[in-house]
Amino acid sequence: MLDFIEPALFAILTIAIVAAGAGVVLANRITTSALLMAFTFLNIAGMFVLLGAETIAMFQVLIYVGAITVLILYGVMFTPQSPRAYGLFFQTQKYWAALFVVPIAIFVALVAFSFRDSATLGAKGGDLLPLATSVFRDFAFPFEVASVLLLAAMVGAIVLVKRDEE
Amino acid sequence: MAVPLGAFIAVSAVLFFIGTAGVLVRRNAVVILMSVELMLNATNLALVAFSRRYSSIDERGSVFVVFIFVVAAAEVAVGLAIVLSAYRNKPTVDVDEIRQLKG
Repeated sequence: MLDFIEPALFAILTIAIVAAGAGVVLANRITTSALLMAFTFLNIAGMFVLLGAETIAMFQVLIYVGAITVLILYGVMFTPQSPRAYGLFFQTQKYWAALFVVPIAIFVALVAFSFRDSATLGAKGGDLLPLATSVFRDFAFPFEVASVLLLAAMVGAIVLVKRDEE
Repeated sequence: MAVPLGAFIAVSAVLFFIGTAGVLVRRNAVVILMSVELMLNATNLALVAFSRRYSSIDERGSVFVVFIFVVAAAEVAVGLAIVLSAYRNKPTVDVDEIRQLKG
């Protein structure tokens, strides 16, 4: 009876993701781009909820909508943008870029829209338990390596941005 | 899940394409970083969709997503640091203007 809800939510999320994602690329003001990016991330979190992956959705909101958007906004703040004409908006090699983009677009469209899998999934329950089992048992060593990677990235970012004290 | 898997894959592919176009076409380094994040998110969506569809109990695809979160956080932190230090050397974030390494 309520079978129309999931396709309707999917359609709304799809429209929001595609429109906001195109807005990130096409927006003239960079702050608009950053906020549209955060909106895209929120809608992808909605997609994860629709897929039944609530834990991943929560991580998405925490890491992407929270941390990465704030980092990007700080980057926007520290690099003041001069207002420029729309002609100076794209890079100078934009024709080469278009030459590469168009084959990628055709390939992606072929792959994505020829994918047929109409099987419907039954409710599998939440994803927290299988995720935690996998991460902390089977992937314990990659988990530790990831923590070392985060530490290295943090130290590297500080070293790169630090001014010389001379 | 009343929505078929192919629909999620199609959305993921479209978002990945938008990110690719942003990386190749825009000239602002910060916008290029944002487009890379869009591509990573599209990959995450595809991985979670496949994981929900095909993995039996242990959700291996979602584990990849967790590691992609970690790598994306590291990538955006180091990337913004590089952009800021390049901005300090030469006050621009246009990738057309940043060419100190060009011989």
